[in-house]
Amino acid sequence: MNAKRLLHKDGTWAAILLLPNILGFFIFTLFPVAASFLLSFTSWDMLQPIQWVGLQNYTELFRDEIFVKVFWNTLYFSAVTVPSGIVISLLLAVALDQGIKGIKFYRAAYFLPVISSMVAVAVVWQWIYNPEYGVLNYFLGLIGIDGPSWLTSTVWAMPAVMITSIWKGLGFNMLIFLAGLQSIPDSYYEAADIDGARRIDKFRYVTVPLLSPTTFFVTVMSFIGSFQVFDSVFLMTQGGPARSTSVIVHYLYENAFKYFRMGYASSMAYVLFFMVLIITLIQFWRQKKWGVY
Amino acid sequence: MKRLGWILAFVLLFSVLLAGCGGSGGTANTSGNDNSQDSGVGDAAGGPDKAVTLKFMGWEASPLETESVKNGLKAFMEKYPNIKVEYTPVPGAQYSSKLLTMLAGNAAPDVFFLGSTDYRAFRERGVLLDLTPQFGAEFSVDDFIPSAAHIMQIDGKVFGVSSCTVSPVLYYNKSLFDKAGVPYPPSDPAKAWTWREFVDNAKKLTVKNGDKVDQYGAYGFENFYMTVAQIYSNGGQLFNEDGTKMSINSPEAKEVLQAILDLRKKEGAAPEAKMLENIGMRPAQMLQTGKVAMLIDGSWALQELAQMNFPVGVGVLPKFKEPATHGQAHVHAAWANTKHPKEAWELIKFLSSEEYQIQLIKEGLWMPNRKSLYTEEGIARWYNDKVHPEGFKDMVSYFNDAKEYPFALIRQSKVNDIITEEMDKFWYADQTADKTVENIESRANVELAK
Amino acid sequence: MKTNMGLRVAAHVFLGLGALTMIFPFLWTLSTSLKNISEVFVFPPTFFGEKIHWENYLRISDRFPFDLYFLNSLKITVIVVIAQLITSSMAGFVFARLRFRYRDLLFGLYLATMMVPGQVTMIPNFIVMRLYGLVDTHWSLILPALVSAFGTFLLRQFFLTIPAALEDAAKMDGCTPFGIYWRIFIPLSKPAMATLGVFVFMGIWNDFLGPLVYINSQNKMTLPLGLASMQGMYSTDWPVLMAGTVISIIPVIVVFLLAQDFFIRGVTLSGLKGE
Repeated sequence: MNAKRLLHKDGTWAAILLLPNILGFFIFTLFPVAASFLLSFTSWDMLQPIQWVGLQNYTELFRDEIFVKVFWNTLYFSAVTVPSGIVISLLLAVALDQGIKGIKFYRAAYFLPVISSMVAVAVVWQWIYNPEYGVLNYFLGLIGIDGPSWLTSTVWAMPAVMITSIWKGLGFNMLIFLAGLQSIPDSYYEAADIDGARRIDKFRYVTVPLLSPTTFFVTVMSFIGSFQVFDSVFLMTQGGPARSTSVIVHYLYENAFKYFRMGYASSMAYVLFFMVLIITLIQFWRQKKWGVY
Repeated sequence: MKRLGWILAFVLLFSVLLAGCGGSGGTANTSGNDNSQDSGVGDAAGGPDKAVTLKFMGWEASPLETESVKNGLKAFMEKYPNIKVEYTPVPGAQYSSKLLTMLAGNAAPDVFFLGSTDYRAFRERGVLLDLTPQFGAEFSVDDFIPSAAHIMQIDGKVFGVSSCTVSPVLYYNKSLFDKAGVPYPPSDPAKAWTWREFVDNAKKLTVKNGDKVDQYGAYGFENFYMTVAQIYSNGGQLFNEDGTKMSINSPEAKEVLQAILDLRKKEGAAPEAKMLENIGMRPAQMLQTGKVAMLIDGSWALQELAQMNFPVGVGVLPKFKEPATHGQAHVHAAWANTKHPKEAWELIKFLSSEEYQIQLIKEGLWMPNRKSLYTEEGIARWYNDKVHPEGFKDMVSYFNDAKEYPFALIRQSKVNDIITEEMDKFWYADQTADKTVENIESRANVELAK
Repeated sequence: MKTNMGLRVAAHVFLGLGALTMIFPFLWTLSTSLKNISEVFVFPPTFFGEKIHWENYLRISDRFPFDLYFLNSLKITVIVVIAQLITSSMAGFVFARLRFRYRDLLFGLYLATMMVPGQVTMIPNFIVMRLYGLVDTHWSLILPALVSAFGTFLLRQFFLTIPAALEDAAKMDGCTPFGIYWRIFIPLSKPAMATLGVFVFMGIWNDFLGPLVYINSQNKMTLPLGLASMQGMYSTDWPVLMAGTVISIIPVIVVFLLAQDFFIRGVTLSGLKGE
């Protein structure tokens, strides 16, 4: 009797069903988050004994010219890729929402870069950017522009990495926008038609405001993603030339797995965490203010 | 009961057999092996009795090199049938951090390649087996050319042994010289071109087609590995005597940096270092296809160039004050915690033997690190006229007398990254030579003090 | 809403140009993979070489165990996808339907860690793997990926939308919570599970940083890492490099075409998260 009762109790089953998940969660997420925090106050190369150094890593961050540089590079990267990625993908989604034919084809085409690994696309982009034989400068040449040597210029290497990143992420955001657009009831547009609104007005006064939760979500996710950019930089420029494309995660990787400064690298991870936290808090604050959707 | 007896007998028999070929847990070569004569090895090496497997890791610089290493290992295993070597080539770019990870993870290979620029840093971390006694019993540092001897010794001790030396040299495409009517660059160090002569000839070898340059005079000096040789040639230094401070902030170094930059910017006789690499060609291909007439590259490139079917020549670098180049090479080292230090040493010893290095020298990949191979008879043992171009014998002393590659003598690998970063600014972003050496010195000194 | 002809043409032109930009690099990869090396160095660039050089594809396998990379990727991805579906659905069910003490606190913890960047956990995880000698094994890639807060969250959200009436009937019949999970929730949530599966597949199959940090031996590399190491070694043999790239992309395209709807739904669903 007792055993049967136990079988029907939520608590019992919660424990059983949660166990594997919780184990994994504690070992590979919660514990590392805490450990990393502690590590950020130490100096350790994994070979010699670990040393407690207090806040030294964090003070060093601000004095380390390279870190300051990669920090700004990261912000530069985000400030360009996020807005331009959003504007372009929104326009594409709007175009796709005009009830045109071939929507499946377009969707697939725009999604191709999303599903491919950065490793695969980095090779061909390097070739596209090639100053002598590359296609990009060839096309630029056709319209009379003398293209730069993209990946080796301290000025143009970062824009090159940005272009590739935007290109890769467009399809993803476009689909989210498309879903958002399709969830706007037709009745709103019909009402606007009755008021004799022009197309551009409808876009401005109906589409944009009703889409704002989606836009906001995409913005937040894009920012968080762009703070963590690594693959494209590592594969296309290795952070060069003269660190002009090096970003936080790239420098973190170098410190952890090249210079073996685990503590210092952990402090960078926490700076990154802090940046993400700020963005997330903004989102919470906005949800509170505007109500939950 | 009877059955049990049989089983026991079998077990006994098997354990005897097993003991005969190694088994486990026994104390090392003590006794009881007199009945193993039948193995028929009878090798002079005699050595260890247990069959062991050594893990050996190296980088894959080129498929040809990996092939050569594998051939060498085959010869080694024939000589020492009790040692089995498992070779893992790891792709080059992340090699040293991968290796350090494995060492830190207590899962390191027994023997491994180690870049000379990492050698002192690894020693500092205490992960390398001290080879001093074994080395002393077999070799004398005086047998090695000065640069190799100096690099291998850390405070009088040896933790890794090199198999060769490599140095920057000047390659040229003979047909382009013939076409322009320019004399070939000299291969005798005593007759080295002055920088001025070099620049003049490079200009003559630069071919323009309207705005576009079809053929550049020279390529390669903007790579810091090559730049260093010219700083030496001008009497400049990178570090002080004991490698604790930078001393690159000198008029000599600045003059060299400016001269190399001028070769591209003022004289238009050289392309941007990265631009040509961005073309997606190897330096050797640029020389072959006539993109450049002269190429400054490491001596290892000869292996590739010799197979490319065009008239290639090798000469010494131009000089500022004195003809100079530098030399270094990776060492073979063993892990401090290896379970088979004895066998590891046998392998390292084999890898640095003349017999092993000669096969790679013959192919043009390496140059010898032994004085004995720089004598007339010595040279005859490796000289290969299919690979080594005319006049190569004249420049042999160049390698023998090469100075130590300075980065092999310090233990902070981050210094190299700082220099790369500052030099990028100098080559590509108009940072002045004054500012560049100043920045390098102040930033690198912070690292060197650590 | 209705749109006029002119606008639709404009939309087609805009979308078409965009689609070309999206596809072009892939076509270029394919065309380069069939050229010989000297045709690569031609200016102005040409799309087709004189002859189709299939042998570039054979040359890859000469030196690179591509089949091995492929199998490694497949093995790791399949294990992780299945494991995450199991762990996430069980936990998602618990958080959505069962009542117990500290449930909300615990779930809050899951939510909170979702915003922790992977780089924060990377270093301690590496140290743990090193401690247990798992560096350079596939375990180091599989173990940390068995459970995901995101997957748990995604399925919990979906389970919340399943009407309670369905399980009430089952409860009457004497079903245990597990029975409800297994007989009702799992069958009803196939689309959501497929969506999560597709997402995880994409993430694990294309992961680069993980293998870069953990895997050293060539025979244990995954496809992206193997491809990257090949790029390092054959930095200038463009046709062979591109051939390797083509081979690595094909499985993803196939999976995408087969499961396109789930991909789309997955993206849409993750988009709903913010609303």
